[in-house]
Amino acid sequence: MLSPGVVSHPFSRRTLLRSLPFLTLGARALGFGDGARFVPAVAQHGGRWDGRMSGMRRLAWEIQRRTSVEVVAEARPLSLTNPRLFDHPFLYFSGDGEYPPLSAAEVESLRRYLVFGGFLLADANDGSSGRGFDASFRRDLARVLPGAALDPMPAAHVVFKSFYLLDSAPGRLFLHPQLRAVNLGTRSAVIYSQNDLAGAWERDESGAYAFEVSPGGEPQRELAVRVGINVSMYALCLDYKDDAVHLPLILKKRR
Amino acid sequence: MRGGTTTTWRLVSLSPLPLWALVGLGILILLGVVLAVVGLSREPSSWRRRVLLLLRLLAGAMALFFLLEPGLRQLAQVRVKNRLAVLIDRTASMGFPTRPEGPSRASAAAEALQRFAPGLEGLKDSFTVEVLGFSPELGPVPAESLATPGSGNRTDLMAALRALKATDTGGTRKLAGAILLSDGADNGELQGGLTPKLTEELKALGFPVSTVRVGEPALVDLAVENVKVDDFAFVRNAVSVELELHGRGLKGRDVPVVLQREGVTVGTRTVHLDSEDDRKPVSFTFTPDQTGRFVYTVGAPVFPGEAVTENNSRSFVLKVIRDRVRVLLVVGRPTWDERFLRGLLKQDPNVDLVSFYILRTTADDTQTRNPERELSLIPFPMEEIFDTKLHTFDVVVFQNFGYAEPSLNIASYERNLEAYVQGGGALVYIGGDHAFGEARAMYPVLDRALPVDPTGSPSLQEPFRLKLTADGLRHPVTRVQTSEPATQSSWDELPPASGVNLVRPKAGATVLLEHPTARVDGRPAPVLALWEYGRGRALALMTDDSWTWAFTARKAGGQSRHYDRFWGNALRWLVRDPDLTSLQVLADPPTVEPGRPPGAVVTARQPDYQPAASAEVRVDLFSLADRKVLQSRSAVAGNDGVARVSFDPVPVGAYKLRATARLGGKELGEADDAVAVRSTGPELADASVRTELLAEVARVTGGRAYQLPLGSLPDVPLLDPPMVEVGRSKDAPLWDRWGWLVALAVLLGTEWLLRRRFGYV
Repeated sequence: MLSPGVVSHPFSRRTLLRSLPFLTLGARALGFGDGARFVPAVAQHGGRWDGRMSGMRRLAWEIQRRTSVEVVAEARPLSLTNPRLFDHPFLYFSGDGEYPPLSAAEVESLRRYLVFGGFLLADANDGSSGRGFDASFRRDLARVLPGAALDPMPAAHVVFKSFYLLDSAPGRLFLHPQLRAVNLGTRSAVIYSQNDLAGAWERDESGAYAFEVSPGGEPQRELAVRVGINVSMYALCLDYKDDAVHLPLILKKRR
Repeated sequence: MRGGTTTTWRLVSLSPLPLWALVGLGILILLGVVLAVVGLSREPSSWRRRVLLLLRLLAGAMALFFLLEPGLRQLAQVRVKNRLAVLIDRTASMGFPTRPEGPSRASAAAEALQRFAPGLEGLKDSFTVEVLGFSPELGPVPAESLATPGSGNRTDLMAALRALKATDTGGTRKLAGAILLSDGADNGELQGGLTPKLTEELKALGFPVSTVRVGEPALVDLAVENVKVDDFAFVRNAVSVELELHGRGLKGRDVPVVLQREGVTVGTRTVHLDSEDDRKPVSFTFTPDQTGRFVYTVGAPVFPGEAVTENNSRSFVLKVIRDRVRVLLVVGRPTWDERFLRGLLKQDPNVDLVSFYILRTTADDTQTRNPERELSLIPFPMEEIFDTKLHTFDVVVFQNFGYAEPSLNIASYERNLEAYVQGGGALVYIGGDHAFGEARAMYPVLDRALPVDPTGSPSLQEPFRLKLTADGLRHPVTRVQTSEPATQSSWDELPPASGVNLVRPKAGATVLLEHPTARVDGRPAPVLALWEYGRGRALALMTDDSWTWAFTARKAGGQSRHYDRFWGNALRWLVRDPDLTSLQVLADPPTVEPGRPPGAVVTARQPDYQPAASAEVRVDLFSLADRKVLQSRSAVAGNDGVARVSFDPVPVGAYKLRATARLGGKELGEADDAVAVRSTGPELADASVRTELLAEVARVTGGRAYQLPLGSLPDVPLLDPPMVEVGRSKDAPLWDRWGWLVALAVLLGTEWLLRRRFGYV
């Protein structure tokens, strides 16, 4: 109800429709539009890019449930040249098998996206290494960020303590013990999993998990969810957990 | 007897023969005498031998006389007038009284010189009397200014005597002696007394220095001396002030020493004086919490009978600057708005960022069995950041923060935060669904510090284009480009904002951005507003979309640094970056020597931060001791917006400058600065009279030591003036008289006759 003397826009049908998806997320107050919330965008490319859409929605849902972050529990597929890509600083880029090289415009747009602050979570749904998605992704990453190294992330990286205290980063698979990252300055702009992270979160139409998780089973699935939350928290908070005020307590907890 | 031309005679040889010829002939004469002695050795009669030998000796002497051709040389000589230098101490310490309630030492010296005048007049036949002052440079001093204390800030007797010696170039410039009138309060080379080297140098002066002590040794005095502190300090960093408390005649006393910043006590120390002449080191360590220039004063109480009271306190100006802007970022929940602001602040080397994010509320289910071990979260340290450490931050940023649950509700620290802003802190309040009354928590006390009032209405969540207000076009926070059109264009190109908290601006707030259509109380809904609250500043941004200026706005590839500039400007404005104030006043210089005029430079800018040419500037100089305006000056700013004013000299102490300016009937603001009037050196710190030192100087140089009062000029030792030959000499031969030749002939003839008679020829 408006206070006396205040005249504002009426509550519109559009506003009502926009708020509907959140009714399932409890009675939290909502930020201003999607921009205030965490909405994972999913990159479209010439290969099988959409195999983990429900997994990304599930990740958003888990973030909403477990943290103070407000989300839109959906995944927004966007081409890399779509201007709306710049409404979503979190981009999920995955594939199952090889995909055609990105166009020059896509490469340029993705470069701009990353350099100006966007975050890319790359995920090899096929668990490949040196072939399949891995080969294609490394090929295009070298075009997007020439000279940038895709280095293994050390265990001390803040992503392993951005919300949960983690020691490893499994996904649906656990073939590669380490995540990899491309750093732009002090910021990891790209984090790459070759363990099919979102495969552990993916659900089928009946609501059941779509894939078995191996070799760790359900505990590994929970770990995969935590990795997803930590990566999202890192995208949102950067190195917050590396601030001096946190270090003594975190070190104590890790003992 | 001294003075006058005199004639003297001198016996000289007028022989034209060279020296070797004279020596050869002399040897021949000697041989003649020796032969006579040998020849007479067998003479049995002793009287004959003696007579003959005597005649030969006399003849030899007479021959030598003719050989040397003696004569008298007449010389005209004059006794030269030497110089007598009367050295008067013209340093600032001569302004101290000779005794409690007595005349100044300078007055006493002037009076003594008057008494010496007849005596000096009497010496003028033999000496050129010169009256010179040293402060510490040596130079003539007019008689009429002798009674006024000099302004020299350093007493260096050795340097003065050295300079005097340099004027001794011989002849008429030769020094016969010096009379030194001083309190001996040397703070130069002789401060520690005479060393062997200095003693030798004094002896080598070559003239006696008689000393006349001016001033009586104080029985009681307390002085703050040797204050050591840096010219500037960093805010929130510890600063040390070191000094010496010099007490005489106060044995056994406990003396409180107080350090104050413009009337506010910063620290107190109690010093126990163990002897009648005791020096005790005192140190203060404090942490300035505000930037700016401040006058600090170290003071000790005045005891009854103190010789000098001015040296019981010392003021100094300390410029407190920030090393880095220390920002506390308190975030209601992680969002992209927080992410980009953190990224910006973390990469700024001038910002020291401390962050606290609420990553989880009690409503969140983390799916953990042992949260302590599985989560990296730490408790929200409200007490630490909003109580004990709050004052250490330059800027506190609340980003969409407003929790009602007890573990996250900051309601109990509202008063601290409001007082923090009131006391000079800076607050940024960024909107969102937890802010400006939309949250479940309300902060009515903290809201007082904000430039806007929540309306209680839900936020608008319709996309809209930001509208830059007329104030926003000129204000340094929103002026993101160098020109107004470019600034306007830069704001116009931003992506639409997705929502706004509905608030109403308070009276006195400046709205820089507003909603293009939504209205509150009939006026456009503000999106960005700011104001000054107490001594602090506050900024309210009623949207959580500013991150899109950094990211979304660049989707087309532009290189705009709009976001960086906006927040950079905001931080600079919040912490009162001097470049972003409309009126600046700077004491010029910040520390003024006693007797010198304090000055101020005022820089005035218009609301659009262009130079306020022709602005009417007024500067008040007021004393911090009694908070009274002592002097006011007015000036008109030049085309560069700068005006300079100068004040009449004021006594030693701490003062504040307050500047105001008007242009076209509008106030441009108010600015303060501090100025300390004090001697920068140790001259006025120590009022002691150095009797022993003056006596030693006199003893070593061959002079005598005296003490005032003296009825007349004492009989000081002086070197006699030397005689100097003047004019040509005149020779009068002595040998060319006929009588000398007859005498020689008689002597030789007599010897010949006697030798014949005695049987030698």
